[in-house]
Amino acid sequence: MIWYNDLNDGIVISSRIRLARNLDKTPFPAALKDKAAVTKQLQDSILKSNSTLANDFELYELDKKNKEEKLKLLEEHLISPQMMQGNGRSVLINKNRTMSIMFMEEDHIRLQIIMGGYHLDEAYDLADKVDDVIEESLTYAYDEKFGYLTACPTNAGTGLRASVMMHLPGLVLTGNINRVMQSISGMGIAVRGMYGEGTSSEGSMFQISNNITMGLTEQEILNKVKNVVNKLSDLEKEARKILISKNKTGIEDKVCRAYGILKYARSISSAEAKQLLSDVMLGQNMGIIKCDGKMTPLELMIKIAPAVISDGGGLSAAERDVKRADMIRANV
Amino acid sequence: MMDLFSELFDMFDNMGPFSAPQMTPKENRVCPVCGHTWADFNKTGKFGCGECYKTFESGASSVLRQVHSSAQHVGKVPSKSGTQIKAKRRLDELKRKLKEAVAAENYEEAARLHAEIKSIEGGALK
Repeated sequence: MIWYNDLNDGIVISSRIRLARNLDKTPFPAALKDKAAVTKQLQDSILKSNSTLANDFELYELDKKNKEEKLKLLEEHLISPQMMQGNGRSVLINKNRTMSIMFMEEDHIRLQIIMGGYHLDEAYDLADKVDDVIEESLTYAYDEKFGYLTACPTNAGTGLRASVMMHLPGLVLTGNINRVMQSISGMGIAVRGMYGEGTSSEGSMFQISNNITMGLTEQEILNKVKNVVNKLSDLEKEARKILISKNKTGIEDKVCRAYGILKYARSISSAEAKQLLSDVMLGQNMGIIKCDGKMTPLELMIKIAPAVISDGGGLSAAERDVKRADMIRANV
Repeated sequence: MMDLFSELFDMFDNMGPFSAPQMTPKENRVCPVCGHTWADFNKTGKFGCGECYKTFESGASSVLRQVHSSAQHVGKVPSKSGTQIKAKRRLDELKRKLKEAVAAENYEEAARLHAEIKSIEGGALK
């Protein structure tokens, strides 16, 4: 199932696992001269493996894709921002678009699993199995003491980044979000925007992930992230209770006005739409409003991003705003 | 609500701040695989290849300790190349348990652990 179609409690949106791996005795991508030959070897480790995986993937050679096609993959969270630039980069994406294997990002291999809802352990188990398949036909850069060796020491050891995307409008609306987030960043946990490093948190979406990748087992890292996610979930639920008890009419008004604009607007920017969809999502989760449209507010939030709306069609910003409003009206 | 927050902040206040890596060690070697030097690492904060970690082992250790508070991987071992590493880790664990059993005067358990250690040492690692 595509990750954003998996409905859940409306607080934990998606779970993502990323493993960084490199080939033994081979310069990392930034220092590598013949990227094509190494890429072929890496791709073959999956495409020519005997596992059922081999038939499940489609190969995207990013040099042959235009900017909008790449942005679309970025906004579906199937490639990282870094994959947008440079050359010689490619990615294998599975049919239900939950698994992507990026080649020649900062490391030779970046294996990613993204699942809707709170499924960090399942996502890790799957990544672990695919990792084993890849390793059957090649030798990883691995050291007994330092573990999996990566270009940046911040990934070395397990090479594991476990992230959970959370929708925290209650903490934003009650004015607690900055204090909570500052506290979290002091404990080896990073908080980022919806699209990872260096992105802002539009629509009250936040990504929680581990900073530390060495000196802990994979399970300990997963538990550490889960502890913070559980705590944040509790705080968000409390904040939502406070919103209802202190100003029920105020929050109902906010949600219903957001729905009204989305239902009737003829032109809307991505930023405004994300904020309003976030308000409607909150209303839906709190039982204020029922959304029985063709798409959930979350799915719309993904599909109204500029590149996804454009779909490789090269629309102007004004044209996109109109197309976005049309799409929301028809589906909200 | 306040109680929940103060509990959270107490938890956070007990953790040390996350410090950025300071790359100070000086090494004059050149990595045989990628040709990078320690100066290259200082410039970019990135290693050129896996071999760099061995070439600049002391520098890498100190950077890793600053980033992760540890320079010892304790997680996954690759299934193919890792048979020996796994056996060694298992041995380390058994030896640690043996010490604990002896300290607790649990001689029956100690004898069992001792036998297991001997059988592993007599096998894969010899």
